[in-house]
Amino acid sequence: MDTPKATTSKAPDPWDIGFGVLVLAGSLLAIFVWFPADIKGGFFNTTPLGRIEPGDAFFPILLAATLGFLSALQVAISLIKGSPSPSPGSLGKLTPHNIRFLIIFLSICATGLLIMFVLGPTVVWVMRELGLTDAEYRYLTDTAPYKYIGYVVGGFLMTVTLIAWTEGRVRPAGIIAVLSVLVVAIVVFDVLLTNVLLPPNAEF
Amino acid sequence: MELVLEYVIRGVADVFTTSSGAFDWMPLVMVVAGLFVGIIVGATPGLNGPFAMALSLPVLIWVFGVSDDALLPILGFLIGLMKGATVGGAVPAILFNTPGTPDAYLTTLDGHPMAMKGEGPKALKVAHFSSVCGDTFSDMCLFLTAPVLAVLIESVLDLPEKAALIILSLSFMAAVAGNSPIKGLMVGVLGMLLALMGTTLSGNGPRMTFGIAELGNGLPLSSAILGVLIVGEVFIGIEEAARERLSRDGPKEAPALGDNRLRLSDIKRIMPNILSSSVIGTAIGALPGIGTTLAATLGYDFAKRTSKTPEKYGTGIPEGVAATEAANSSVSGANLIPVMSLGIPGNFAAVFIILAVESVGDFTLGPHVFRFTEIKVIEGYGTIINKDLVIAFAMFTLMVIANVFNWTLGGVVMRSLGVLARVPKSIMLPVVLLITLTAVYAQDGGFIAIWVVMVFGLIGYVLKRLDISILPFVIGFLLSPRLEELVRGGYSASGGDPLFLLKSPIALAFLLASGFIIYFATKKAG
Repeated sequence: MDTPKATTSKAPDPWDIGFGVLVLAGSLLAIFVWFPADIKGGFFNTTPLGRIEPGDAFFPILLAATLGFLSALQVAISLIKGSPSPSPGSLGKLTPHNIRFLIIFLSICATGLLIMFVLGPTVVWVMRELGLTDAEYRYLTDTAPYKYIGYVVGGFLMTVTLIAWTEGRVRPAGIIAVLSVLVVAIVVFDVLLTNVLLPPNAEF
Repeated sequence: MELVLEYVIRGVADVFTTSSGAFDWMPLVMVVAGLFVGIIVGATPGLNGPFAMALSLPVLIWVFGVSDDALLPILGFLIGLMKGATVGGAVPAILFNTPGTPDAYLTTLDGHPMAMKGEGPKALKVAHFSSVCGDTFSDMCLFLTAPVLAVLIESVLDLPEKAALIILSLSFMAAVAGNSPIKGLMVGVLGMLLALMGTTLSGNGPRMTFGIAELGNGLPLSSAILGVLIVGEVFIGIEEAARERLSRDGPKEAPALGDNRLRLSDIKRIMPNILSSSVIGTAIGALPGIGTTLAATLGYDFAKRTSKTPEKYGTGIPEGVAATEAANSSVSGANLIPVMSLGIPGNFAAVFIILAVESVGDFTLGPHVFRFTEIKVIEGYGTIINKDLVIAFAMFTLMVIANVFNWTLGGVVMRSLGVLARVPKSIMLPVVLLITLTAVYAQDGGFIAIWVVMVFGLIGYVLKRLDISILPFVIGFLLSPRLEELVRGGYSASGGDPLFLLKSPIALAFLLASGFIIYFATKKAG
C-alpha cells in the first residue's frame, strides 16, 4: 500500500506511455461505441414535468471523459518530463516471464475449472448411457456423491498442479493439505450451510 | 453530556441484549473467535487480515442472516479478526525472519536478531505488548475524534460538498499510494466505471453489460473486491514462489534460550518508543490511503533518530520491535475515523467493515451516525432515537472488548503459533485460491462470480506489475454508486447548473485541494 517515492528517470518509459495510450483509446471507444450501444437511458432525460435531469449515461460519460483527460495528461507528462523510476523491487512493466507465468497459471486454472464444470454431468451421462441411472444431472445436484464429483476432482487437480508447479515436485504434504481443505470446504459450504451449492451445481 | 452518556450506555447494552431485550452473549463470543482467528491468520505466511475478513463475511451472513440482530456479532468477528491479524503478523517476522506483510518487515530488523540471540519469546512479548498498547491508544483517538469530526462535517456538507469530498479522498489516495498520482487517479476512475455496470438509478434496464444477462444486477461486489485485492496477490505470490522455490529453503527456528521474561524495567525502557510510535501510527491511520508500512517506517525511524544509541538499532533490541509494532498496530483503529465520520474507507480492512454494514441490517456509516437526537418516548408511537448512534457506540464497545481479550489472552495465543509460520507459501497460496473460488461461487451462486474474481485478480496482478497501487481502484469501485447519486442529485437540485460543484465554496475548496495534491505529488514523483 505504501510505496516509497520514486526517483526521477528522464527517459519516457514505453510502458508508461503505452498504458496511457491504451486507456485513452479505451475511454474514447467507451464514449463513442460502447455506451451508445449499451446504455438505454440518454445523457439527459426530460421528466414528464419538462425538467431536464441527468440520465443513465450521464455519469459513465463524465467518468470516461475524465479518464480520457487523465490518460492524455499521463502521456504528455511522460513525454515532456520523463517517467518516474519504478518502486524498489518492481520493474513497472510486464516481462516475457510474467506473460509466460500468466499463460501457464491461467491454463491450469481454466483446465481445473473446466473439469469442475463438466465432470459431474459427464459421469451422470455415461451412467445413463450404461443404464446405471435414469436421472439427469440437474436432478442430482443435491445428491451425494454426484454433487461432489466435479468440485473435488477439478479443485484437487487444479490446486495440486499449482502446488507441484510452484514447488517443482509433488509432495505428500501438498496432497494432504488440498484434500483436507476440500473436506473442510464441503463440511462448511455443503453440510453446515444448507441453502448453498458447491460449484458447479448452481449452474444446472 | 447526559444525552451523550445515555447513548453510550445504550450502545454498551446493545452489545449484550437482543432486539427483544434478552441477554445476548453472541457478540462477545464472536469478538473472541475473530481475535483468535485473526492471530492465526496473521501468523500464517500468505494469509492476511483483509483476506480472512473477505472470506468470513459471506459465511457470517449465512450463519447470522441480515437482520439488525446479526450486525453486532458479524462486526464483532470482523473487528476481532482485524486486531488479531495485526498482532499475529509479528510471529513469522520475529521467529523466522519471514514477514507476512510489508509492515512486518520492519519488525524483523530487531525482532529476528533477538530471536537469534535466544530471546525469541521475549521479542514476541514486546511485540504483543507494544502492539496492543498502540491499538488501544488508536481506538481511544477514534472514540474521541470520530463523533466530533462527524458532527462538524454533517453541519456543513450538502450534496455537492459530499461529492467533492469523495473526489478529494480519491485524489489523496492516488497521491500517497503508488509512485504515479495520475496513474493512481486513472485506476480510481476505472474502478468507478466498472462499478456502474448493470445498475441504473432510473430503472431503464441494465447498462454496460455487453448483453451478458448475469451482469444485469451489476458485478458481484465482494467477488470483484476479493479478486483485485486477494487473488491478484495470490497470482503474484505463486509466481514468486515458483521462481524462488521458497519451500525448499524453509525458515530456520532460532533456539529459545536465556532470560525471556518481560520485566517492568523492560516496559519502562520501551514505553517512550511505544508512545511516540502510537502517535505517529494514529496520525497516519487517520488519513485515507496511507497504510501501516509508512507508519512502521516513520515510527522506527523516529525511535532510532531520538535514541542515544542509534547504532544498536538493527542488532536485536526491544526498542526497535516496540517502535514498529506500536506504530503499525495504532493504524487500525484510526483507519476507522474516516469510515465512521465520513463513510469513506481508508484501507482494505475498512472496506470489509463497510461491506458488512451495507449487507446486514439498516445501519449505514457516515456523518449522520453521530447526530445526537434527543431521546423521546411518545406514547403509542415508540421511542425517538438515533439508532445508528447506538450501534456506533456498540461498535466502540466491541473494540474495547477485543482489546481486553487481546491484552489478556492474545499474547498467549500468539506465542503458541510459531509452528504456523512454517507453512510454505507454495502450498498456502494455491489453497487460498481454491477457498476463494469456492466461497465466491457459494456466495454469488454461479460461475459468473468465479470469472469476475479471476478477471479482477488479473487486473490486480497487472496493476501490481505495472507498479500502480490498487487501493484507488478498490475505493473508486466501492464509492462510485454513491458518487453518482450525489452528482446526479446535486445537478438536479441545482436546476441543471453544470457548474454546481464550483458554486459551493466548500466543494470548490475540496476540488482545488484535490488539484493541488495531485499537482504537487506528480511534481515530487517526476
